[in-house]
Amino acid sequence: MSETLEQTRTRANGVGAAALRKEDDRLLRGDGRFTDDVDPAHALHMAIGRCPFPHARILEIDVSAAAELEGVQQILVGAEVAQRTEPISVLRPVPGAPQLPYYALAGEVCVYEGQPVVSVVATSRAVAEDAIELIDIDYDPLPHVSDVLEALADDAPVLHPLQLSSNLLATNPQGNGDPDAVMAAAHIVVSDRFRINRVTGLPMEPRAIVAHWRPGARELTAHVSTQVPHLVRMQLAESLRLDEGDVRVITSDVGGGFGLKLGVYPEDVLACLHAIDLRRPVKWTEDRLEHFRATTHAREAVHDFAIGADADGRITAMTNTYTTDLGGQNSPFGSAQLSSIVFTGPYRVDDGFVQRRVALTNKTPVGAYRGYGQPEVNFARELLMDRLARRLGIDPLELRMRNMLAQEDLPWRNPAGALYDSGDYRLALQMVADAVDYDALRAAGRERPDGRRVGIGLTSFVERTGYASAKFLANRGSRYGAHESVTLRANRSGGIDLFTGVSSMGQSSETAFAQICSQVHGIAFDAIRVHAGDTGATPLNTGAFASRTLIAAAGAVSAAATELRDKTLRIAAHRLELDDVDGLEVDGDAVVVQGDPSRRIPLAELHMAAIIGQGIPVDEHPGLEATAHFEPEHAAYAFGSAAAVVAVDPETGDFEIERFVLVHDCGTMVNPTLVDGQVRGALAQGFGAALSEELRYDADTGQLVNGSMLDYFVPTAADLPPIELHHTEVPSPFTTFGVRGVGEIGTIPPGAAIANAVCDALADFDVQISRLPVTPELVWRELQQARNRSETP
Amino acid sequence: MKPAPLQYVRPASVAEAVDALEEHGGMARVLAGGQSLVPMLGMRLMRPSALVDINDLGAELGKIDGRGEETVIGALVRYSALETSPVIAERLPLLQEVVRHIGDRQVRNRGTIGGAVAQSDPTGEMPLVCLTLGARVVARSVRGERTIPIEEFFEGSYANALEPEELLVGLRFPLAPVHCRFFERGRKHNDFALLSIAVAGSPDADGRWSGVRIGLGGVNDTPVLAEAAAARLEGRTWDTATIAEAAELALEAADPPDDVRASAEYRNHLLPIQLRRVLTDLAGAEPWKT
Repeated sequence: MSETLEQTRTRANGVGAAALRKEDDRLLRGDGRFTDDVDPAHALHMAIGRCPFPHARILEIDVSAAAELEGVQQILVGAEVAQRTEPISVLRPVPGAPQLPYYALAGEVCVYEGQPVVSVVATSRAVAEDAIELIDIDYDPLPHVSDVLEALADDAPVLHPLQLSSNLLATNPQGNGDPDAVMAAAHIVVSDRFRINRVTGLPMEPRAIVAHWRPGARELTAHVSTQVPHLVRMQLAESLRLDEGDVRVITSDVGGGFGLKLGVYPEDVLACLHAIDLRRPVKWTEDRLEHFRATTHAREAVHDFAIGADADGRITAMTNTYTTDLGGQNSPFGSAQLSSIVFTGPYRVDDGFVQRRVALTNKTPVGAYRGYGQPEVNFARELLMDRLARRLGIDPLELRMRNMLAQEDLPWRNPAGALYDSGDYRLALQMVADAVDYDALRAAGRERPDGRRVGIGLTSFVERTGYASAKFLANRGSRYGAHESVTLRANRSGGIDLFTGVSSMGQSSETAFAQICSQVHGIAFDAIRVHAGDTGATPLNTGAFASRTLIAAAGAVSAAATELRDKTLRIAAHRLELDDVDGLEVDGDAVVVQGDPSRRIPLAELHMAAIIGQGIPVDEHPGLEATAHFEPEHAAYAFGSAAAVVAVDPETGDFEIERFVLVHDCGTMVNPTLVDGQVRGALAQGFGAALSEELRYDADTGQLVNGSMLDYFVPTAADLPPIELHHTEVPSPFTTFGVRGVGEIGTIPPGAAIANAVCDALADFDVQISRLPVTPELVWRELQQARNRSETP
Repeated sequence: MKPAPLQYVRPASVAEAVDALEEHGGMARVLAGGQSLVPMLGMRLMRPSALVDINDLGAELGKIDGRGEETVIGALVRYSALETSPVIAERLPLLQEVVRHIGDRQVRNRGTIGGAVAQSDPTGEMPLVCLTLGARVVARSVRGERTIPIEEFFEGSYANALEPEELLVGLRFPLAPVHCRFFERGRKHNDFALLSIAVAGSPDADGRWSGVRIGLGGVNDTPVLAEAAAARLEGRTWDTATIAEAAELALEAADPPDDVRASAEYRNHLLPIQLRRVLTDLAGAEPWKT
């Protein structure tokens, strides 16, 4: 249950304070240390030769000319890698799916454009790149399939014929009640097929690794830009056939993860293999062209969604069968798995069925990306909610309110088995409506004097943050737990060193952890030093993804801080010759006697006493260090509602998002500034995917058409609409302090809110949108189609 | 780090620069601001045998000069210099307005007018405005200097009338009409244009327009003049019907591409609408700067 006791005391930079980020000093001074900043003097550099075709058989590889180039140290090809390594392991398997061996270099057949085929290590990256160009590879291009539904057709080329008879990797149905019968009996059914665009996360820092092998010590040290250093350590050991004890992964600053840096990639295995062979550090930093083809993509899916309702608009059934695109290989996290769990959203639905189908296509493998299925399914469901409202002549706000779970309905289990913990969903929606002055906007009508039409689009959602227990994960074959861990170690300066396996990728975990530690322990925020991401120094943990870090880590930091504080107070009581610790507390840099400020012992003195074991109670061991693990008993469900006010030019399809209001709840806010930053960052990626980003493949060649920053329309700050944020703060009963995850929520509402607003603005034309991204050209096309429909009754 | 092997030459004078271009027999590329060239080198989409870096030639190529009716701009004049130049503000206000649509601050601090025109991007702002304002391109080689009318300069997507051994040294602009407008639509802020329009002309006291020029970007493999549209507007007052006719006539100059930014069909749909709006705005408006 929620541990709110520790919060009763307000601390300067404790829980709830807008503490300044610990990370910022070094980052703003340009003093961050990213993987590419690791620059051993005797390092060698790796370049990768990649398959230019979406599907091809490798007939012959001739490396002779490259091998003669001055500076080239080693060249690896697929056959050797297959002999010497194990395939890259999947961390989050698709239930019911066979293993698809994924070696670091392609063997006989390449299944996506950009798949590594050869690797070269040379004295410089330039020489390595020159060598790649000298390698002569004879490919036999094979028939390919790009479209996720065409991949499942009978005549589609099968990507992995040894393991599968088709490109369907697995089907995962979930549900409750009798949705088919209820749907058949419904007064009204709205349904459609929704196409979600393929996008990528584009961290500022691309992937990177510096690998170093010391044969005498049997120690592989790999500096890797990753969200999960401890999982990368496990995977590297497995693929390289080393003991985990031989491998140390160090992750310092990470320039953005977003789900793309979850687990090992082929290049990581290759750099280590070269480093072991050459006994010199080997470095590889991904360039942006590689990033677009070799780092996981996300989101692409086709959702067939249906909602049944009675004449009053009360939802009676929901069904959603969808196909996610996995790309050519199963990456460590694979395609999105959370569309199923939240498919019914914040609405009361008793009869529901959802089915996920995972399809292989000849495209870059798909992995996790901020939101992991939740923006996708939200788009489908929320567009249908508006269509249902329109068909029934009920206002979309009223329709949502009628169906939304009330605060007293929670906790509540949805048809996919998700346990919604707590929250006031209706309040969030009402706050959104009030913020945009919904009734007044409605009354003002849709037409503007300048010819534009204005519309309001709403969306409401729940978001799973964190994981429902290790048991849940184990049932799904996951190779990581639901816990987080932390080690706190007192130091002789009177400070605390906080060790965490959670790497620092912009999510501000250093700051948040220190705030919690300060809150519980009493030590000053500034006296806490966070050491993150080195597997040689930090306790085994899971990592930073799935909006799960704080949900689990708050409990771990809290438990460790409690243990450390209690021992500190016992030593202080001993030295003050008190019978017990009653009336003692840590206050900033000292233990003080409440009510008698003259009686205080500096923490530096107490820490030294504990560390050298002098002047401590006879029954205490020396040392002042605590490690704690915490696993929440359930996931926490964040929630919210959003509204977009959009003015559309019906002549051109251009539209302007005049307002975007989001009301959300992430439970107790550890730091409101960090919450706003997370929400705004995720919104920016949400707007990108909703409005402009789309990885497009040529229909004939199957090749990526827009794999560079030139043609991939990621928004800049100048492209974002004005954003208004409001919060509710209902503590989750399942987590320490009542926190919920917050990192991904912003990706969810933009697509649905904007599309609903555009359709609302153009309601007189009966425009329907069923795909992303929503571009001016798409709006114009849908207008044309709507006009054609109305002309041909 | 990423370019294919190449030689680097840094001449101290234009004479040395054209010598170097001659020496490499057309296989060298000129490095000015590098805002297009350097990424293409990095992607190995371009593999010149040498780079001739003209950044030391500011004394010869870095000046903005108003001479009588003509304005001469050296090839190495950077966008940010155009943006803040009082001479440009007074003489070529359209050029100054357009600069604000180019890239970001960093790009404008490095990118040059000569580089942009030599790059001949069919969606580029500089080629479009130079075309609309009727500039002449001055090119030099070891064989001497020649002047190329801008209407004969652009020959295709990223292709132009410069010989491979020639260095673009500057642009000469005639007196510009006081009335002008610029419109651009991209997929994101200061993106490559999927459609851009530049219009210039002068109305007399009776509201009859002369010297009308309409330049279009993003709708063909080079920036193009909408000559039929301009002819429809020349010597007349612009009422709604005239403007609508001219806007439709502009399609004669368009043969737009289908690409990730927009379909040809959509560009053709947008062109007359946006041109109509630009012309309507111009017809009812004050001069650019008053």
